[in-house]
Amino acid sequence: MKEKALQVLVVEDNAGDVRLLREMFNGERPGSFELTHLLRLSEAEAYLAKGGVDITLLDMGLPDGHGLETVRRAHAAAPDVPLIILTGLDDEALAGEAMTQGAQDYMIKGQIEARALPRALRHAIERHRMQTETDLIRTHQMQFKDEFLSHVSHELRSPLTAVRQFVTILLDGLAGEMNSEQHEYLEIVLKNVKQLHSMINDLFEVSGIQAGKLKIELQCTSVSDAVVYTVNTLQGAAVAKGIILSSDFEHKLPLVYADPARLRQILVILVDNATKFTPTNGAVKIQVGVFEEDPTFLLVEVADSGCGIELDMTERIFERLVQASDPDAADRNGLGLGLYICKDLVTRQGGQIWAKSTPGQGSVFSVTLPIFSLPKLLAPAFNEKDQTERPITLVVTEIGSQTGWLSNEVRAEQCRGIRDLLRGCLHSDLDILLPKIDFAGPAELFFIAAITDGLGGEAISKRIRKQLDSSERLQQAGLTQSTSYRLLDPIQRNSTESMEDYLEKVAANIQEQMNKEILSRQVSNG
Amino acid sequence: MDSRKILIVDDNADIRLGMHVRLKANRYETFFAADAFSGVAEARKHRPDLIILDLGLPGDDGFTVMERLKQVPFLAVIPIIVVSARNGLANQKRAYDAGAKAFLQKPVNDAELLAVIRQSLGETTKDKEIYSL
Repeated sequence: MKEKALQVLVVEDNAGDVRLLREMFNGERPGSFELTHLLRLSEAEAYLAKGGVDITLLDMGLPDGHGLETVRRAHAAAPDVPLIILTGLDDEALAGEAMTQGAQDYMIKGQIEARALPRALRHAIERHRMQTETDLIRTHQMQFKDEFLSHVSHELRSPLTAVRQFVTILLDGLAGEMNSEQHEYLEIVLKNVKQLHSMINDLFEVSGIQAGKLKIELQCTSVSDAVVYTVNTLQGAAVAKGIILSSDFEHKLPLVYADPARLRQILVILVDNATKFTPTNGAVKIQVGVFEEDPTFLLVEVADSGCGIELDMTERIFERLVQASDPDAADRNGLGLGLYICKDLVTRQGGQIWAKSTPGQGSVFSVTLPIFSLPKLLAPAFNEKDQTERPITLVVTEIGSQTGWLSNEVRAEQCRGIRDLLRGCLHSDLDILLPKIDFAGPAELFFIAAITDGLGGEAISKRIRKQLDSSERLQQAGLTQSTSYRLLDPIQRNSTESMEDYLEKVAANIQEQMNKEILSRQVSNG
Repeated sequence: MDSRKILIVDDNADIRLGMHVRLKANRYETFFAADAFSGVAEARKHRPDLIILDLGLPGDDGFTVMERLKQVPFLAVIPIIVVSARNGLANQKRAYDAGAKAFLQKPVNDAELLAVIRQSLGETTKDKEIYSL
C-alpha cells in the first residue's frame, strides 16, 4: 500500500534557504514528503487554517512577522500542527523561548544535517501525536473523576435523607416514647449523619473546584455580617463542647469585594475547624480589622486555643486530603477537604490565607480580602495594556445636575466626593468621549452612565444618546449603540442616600452591566 | 376543617414513608407517586393542596411533571416544593423558573420542610397551632 505523503509547510522568505531545505529531501523515497513553500506569515496562516498540513517549518524573520509573534500566530492558526522553528545561529536563545509559545523544536540554519531533517520531522510529528494523545487522556480522566465525584455525592444524598428522616422521627417520639439511653444513642446517630452530609457537600465542592465550575459572584460585601452569621450558626456546637466562641471587630469596618455566600462558607469552615481542634474550656475568637501590611485589604483572623499545628504542617494543611494529626481530638472527623476548599475560595476572591501556630497553645488562621474600592474596581478598565485584551473597557460618566450637561461647576461641592473617587478613571466630557470611542474601534465597548445628584438624569441621558446617535463620525466608523456602546439608565442619588451608599450603588450598577455583557459575550463566543 | 392534602412524588419508597410519618404527625393527609406519569395522574385524582416533588425520577424527571401540571388550569395553581439531591444553582434556578415555591436540597431537615410547607400553604405558624389542636 502506498503511504500518504507527509505535507510539510515551509514558511521562509529566503530562496536560498528554501533550496537547501528541498535538497535535504532528495535522498527520500519519492512521494514520502510533499513540500509547500510560502513567503509570508499571512499566507501561511490562511493555508494552515485550511487544514491538511502535517508539520510546519517556520522562519522567525518574515516580511510580515518577526520573532515570537510569528510563532504565536502560526501556532494559533493551527494549534494541532507541530511547529519547528528555523533560526540563525545568533537567535538560539529566542528559539528556546519560542518553545514556550507552542513550537515543538528548533533547528539552526546551516547546522542541519541533510539526512537528519526528514527523520527529525517524522519524529516531531510522532512526538506531537503522542503528546496530544496524552493530553486528551488526561483531560478525559479529569473529567471522569469530576463527573464521578459529582455523581457519587448526588447518589449518597437520597439514602442519607431516609436515614435522617427516620432518626428524627424516632427522636421526636413520633413512633412512641423512648428511654433516655435510646434517645442519647440516636442523637449520636444524628450527629454522624450530619457529619456525613457535610462530607458529601465537601466532595461535591471539590469536584466543582477541579472542574472549574465553582461560581463566585464578587460584590460589595460586609465581613461583619458574615462573622455574625458564623457565630450564630456555630455558637450551639461551641457551647455544647464548652468552648467560648466570640468575635471582635470595629463598628464600622470597610466593605470588601467578595462573594457573601462564599465568605460565610470560608468562615464556617475555619471556625468549625477551630472548634474541633480546641479542647473543652478553650476559646475560639474571630477578629477583623484593616490589614496593617496592606491597608487595601481586610484581615480576618480565627484564633483558637487548641492543640496547634506542627510547624512543617502549616502550609501543607491547605493541600487536599491533608489533616493535622491530633492524638487528643476524639471527634476530629472529615475528609481533609475543608481548608483546601477554603484556600481555593479565598484565592479566587483575590485574597490570601495562611496559618500560624504554636503547638500545644493554639493556631491562628488568617484570611485577607480586598477592600471594596470603586477606582480599584474600574482601574483595570483604563489600563492601556489591558485594553487590547479586554474588549469591554471604559466607563464614561457625567456628573450633572438639573441645570444641564457639562456644567461641572454647578454644585461642585456635592460632586467633589464622587469626583475624588472617580478621578483618573472617568471621562466626563463628550469632546473626550467621542474621539475616544472613534479611536478605539469596534472591538471596544463603552459604558456610558449619567451620574446625577438630582433630577434631570433622564434628560442628560437623552442628550448623550442623541449626540452619539447623530454623530456622523461614529456612524461612518460603524459604531452604534448595539455594537459599541451601552447607555445605562441614569443613576440618581436620592436625597436620603449618603454619598457612600450612593457610590456603592453606582459601582454595583456599572459592575452588573459589565458582568452581563461579559457573560453574553462568553455565551455568544461559545 | 379537613386536613390539607399533600402529594409526595419521590422514587425512593423509604423517603416517601419518612415524609408520610412526619406529615401525618402534623395533620396532613398524604398521597404518593414514584414517577412522573403517576405524579401527574395522582395530582389529577386527588387535587392536593401542595406537591412535594423530587427531580430525579425514573423516566421523565420532576421538571417534566411541573410542565405537565402547568398545562392543566386546576393543577397549575398547586404550590410545588422541589426536594432534590441534585446539586447546584442551575437546578435551583430552573426549578424556580418552572414555578416551584421552594427548593430544598436532600438530605432535608424536617423542621425546614414543615416551615416551607406551611408558608406555601399560606398557613402562619399561629394558624397551624390552632389548627392542630
